[in-house]
Amino acid sequence: MKTKRLWGSLLSLVLCGSLLAGCGTESSSSSAQEGNGSQKVDKVVFAMPSFNRIPDDISKVTAAINAITVPKIGVEVDFRLYGPADYAQKVNLALQSGEQMDVFTTLGQFTNYASKNQLYPLEELLPQYGKELTQILEKDFGPNLLEATTMDGHIYGVPVNKGMSLPTNIVYNADMLKESGLTADQMTSLDDLPAVFEAVKQKHPDVIPFGPVNVNPSDTNLVLALKGMHKIDFLSDTTGIGVVVGNDGKVQNFYDTDAFKQGTKMMRNWFEQGFLEKDAATTSISFSDTIASGRGFSFLGGYSGMEAAKALSAQTGKNLEMKRLVPYYFDTGAVNLVSWMVSSTTKVPEGSVKFLNMLYTDQQLINTILYGIEGEDYVKVDEHHVKFPDGMDASTVPYTAMLSTGIVGSESLQYQLEGVNWSDVELKLKENKETERSPYFGFIFDPSEVKTQMSAVTNVVNQFLPALVTGVLDPDVTIPQFVKALNDAGASDIIASKQKQLDEWIAQQKK
Amino acid sequence: MKTKSGGLRKTLPLLLLAAPGLLYFLINNYLPMAGIFIAFKDVNYAKGIFGSDWVGFDNFKFLFQTSDAWIMTRNTLLYNLAFIVLGTMLSILIAILMSELLKSLWSKLFQSGLVLPNLISMVVLSYIVFAFLNADSGFINNSILKPLGIPEINWYSEAKYWPYLLVFIQLWKTAGYGSIVYIAFISGIDKSIYEAAKIDGAGKLKQIRMITLPLLKPTIIILTLMSIGRIFNSDFGLFYQVPMNAGALYSTTQTIDTYVYRALMQVNDIGMSAAAGLYQSVVGFILVMAANAIVKKVNPENALF
Repeated sequence: MKTKRLWGSLLSLVLCGSLLAGCGTESSSSSAQEGNGSQKVDKVVFAMPSFNRIPDDISKVTAAINAITVPKIGVEVDFRLYGPADYAQKVNLALQSGEQMDVFTTLGQFTNYASKNQLYPLEELLPQYGKELTQILEKDFGPNLLEATTMDGHIYGVPVNKGMSLPTNIVYNADMLKESGLTADQMTSLDDLPAVFEAVKQKHPDVIPFGPVNVNPSDTNLVLALKGMHKIDFLSDTTGIGVVVGNDGKVQNFYDTDAFKQGTKMMRNWFEQGFLEKDAATTSISFSDTIASGRGFSFLGGYSGMEAAKALSAQTGKNLEMKRLVPYYFDTGAVNLVSWMVSSTTKVPEGSVKFLNMLYTDQQLINTILYGIEGEDYVKVDEHHVKFPDGMDASTVPYTAMLSTGIVGSESLQYQLEGVNWSDVELKLKENKETERSPYFGFIFDPSEVKTQMSAVTNVVNQFLPALVTGVLDPDVTIPQFVKALNDAGASDIIASKQKQLDEWIAQQKK
Repeated sequence: MKTKSGGLRKTLPLLLLAAPGLLYFLINNYLPMAGIFIAFKDVNYAKGIFGSDWVGFDNFKFLFQTSDAWIMTRNTLLYNLAFIVLGTMLSILIAILMSELLKSLWSKLFQSGLVLPNLISMVVLSYIVFAFLNADSGFINNSILKPLGIPEINWYSEAKYWPYLLVFIQLWKTAGYGSIVYIAFISGIDKSIYEAAKIDGAGKLKQIRMITLPLLKPTIIILTLMSIGRIFNSDFGLFYQVPMNAGALYSTTQTIDTYVYRALMQVNDIGMSAAAGLYQSVVGFILVMAANAIVKKVNPENALF
């Protein structure tokens, strides 16, 4: 009996022990890099989203990055790679818990980070440590790019330097178009599309002529096209509550504008003629899958340059081509959509900015981050092009983040995959400078005083927008309901707050 | 002195056995409670959490900002009520049927089969549901409604069907698992009581009504009390994934959890999310206390505490 009880005690002790062991922290094995030589080495944590497979071990690439950065700027980089789904979560967790996180990016949440004081102001450090960075932005985009990330006189981030003009293109299956006896010349604006869809439908009754580019929630890029067509500035967020049409300076509700009514009416016509699937608003099958299976014909996509259809063809295995229908319109949100930022809690601001500078200007660093190690992960073809080593592809090489080309650094310094026309990169840079800019470019709305209303309208927009941009619901009936629900949720407060801030901003610009 | 040390020696193994669980509760459930104050702060990262400004109840406002406040509260409460009532009834029914089967070899197979749905992740389940309900190629529209000549239904844009669908899906998923506790309890009932009843001429139904159910009552009450504590929470997967996040269905699928998720995905404000969590916990706490008080009044032995 006594031994039994002893065994019991022992067993439970073991249980406790194993539990505690599980809680144990992995003692950080930071290498004793510091101290060799007189130069101090800053350790910078750099987190990047990758749309490729995340390799289990990226220490080789981290070492390659450090081989560049330690001698040049005295920065040791702790390179973190996260998938797009959990990137924001991982970064936010690190920021909230006080873990070190110095250089990170965002997909569209710049204003949120800035308004919560999570970002380090860079205006004093950039002239000192970021000269080359400023130069290359000016060369590739034109002057004043950093205005899009400036709030109250502080520069809080650096937009990624790439082809930022995203005109609306119709991406279509070229073989089907040909079989229907048509050519791309017959498509010059959105109004020409119904005739094309009808012809495709006649020839291929099983094919769905048009579908949403993104699903869950469904988005047909109708809003993108309307922005370009009617020159609408969304005033630095994506909700659509509080936009300016043209240059009249009057903030209004996008969903109450004639532009939105016309656009949704057009989509409703398409839907009623059977050009979209019945469940287009709620489907969870992405239209690129539908196209790959040969059942889809076209979608609207925002792509810079002229070569995007090649990558889409490779992805879907169909012969896709694209045709531009609507130009792009630069507003602040379009430019700071992807921006690199430095955390306000960083202990190494100088090192972070030095690293940021290299991230935009050092060809070797940028391409190591994107393509990995030469000879193992990629092979150089010529000055601007690389390919995967023989017998390997993006999913079998030890490391690649090639799908993050639109996320990091300067596109003009990136290698391109073999087969991509280099002149397209030059075209994108040219269009950066030529695309029309909104007169309110540089205005950033600070939502902090209406955040309750912002969260409420976000819900309403999620509820109504997907069904309207796919034509599933009748806009004549639904838009009044939609606008009423938005007003109930406090849309007018947001519009008033935006108008006030915009007026102040305009007054400041005139000075 | 002697009795004390003897008592400790007797309970030491039990205490140690409970220690991991207690430790878990302490770390996971009690320590974070100190963070409740975040719900009353306007979190500003430059000032730090402790230095941020107090804003009173401002963070709670977004929960009640729109007419959705009523819809989501109603949905959360009614769905949970339906789950508790129907789920308990169904679980008990299954348990009684299974315990009648207990002698048969098949019962083990059925038992495993009943637990299986509970192991399916909500995301996978949402696609199983999608295979049934898809407008163009779904099983119900294509193989049932079409041959019968009934017009097809666009399930993902008709909110009125979803209360039934969601209750059905939830019961399908959880009833089997929920019955395990009852099966265990029923198999523990003294068989001689049933034999005595049989001799007295009680049929199967009468045995169930007069013996099984009354003896199950304390278990039912405890389990129900525990689910009432979570009546303000909802299974996020069930209400977000299964309806495929379809906007047209919000009027019947929006619950407090999905509303908070949808509202704060964009704003990303930890003060407001803490407020939502606190609100749910406080209401849950009040409901448990109230339910327990009622039980205590009616039947003191069955109360939880």
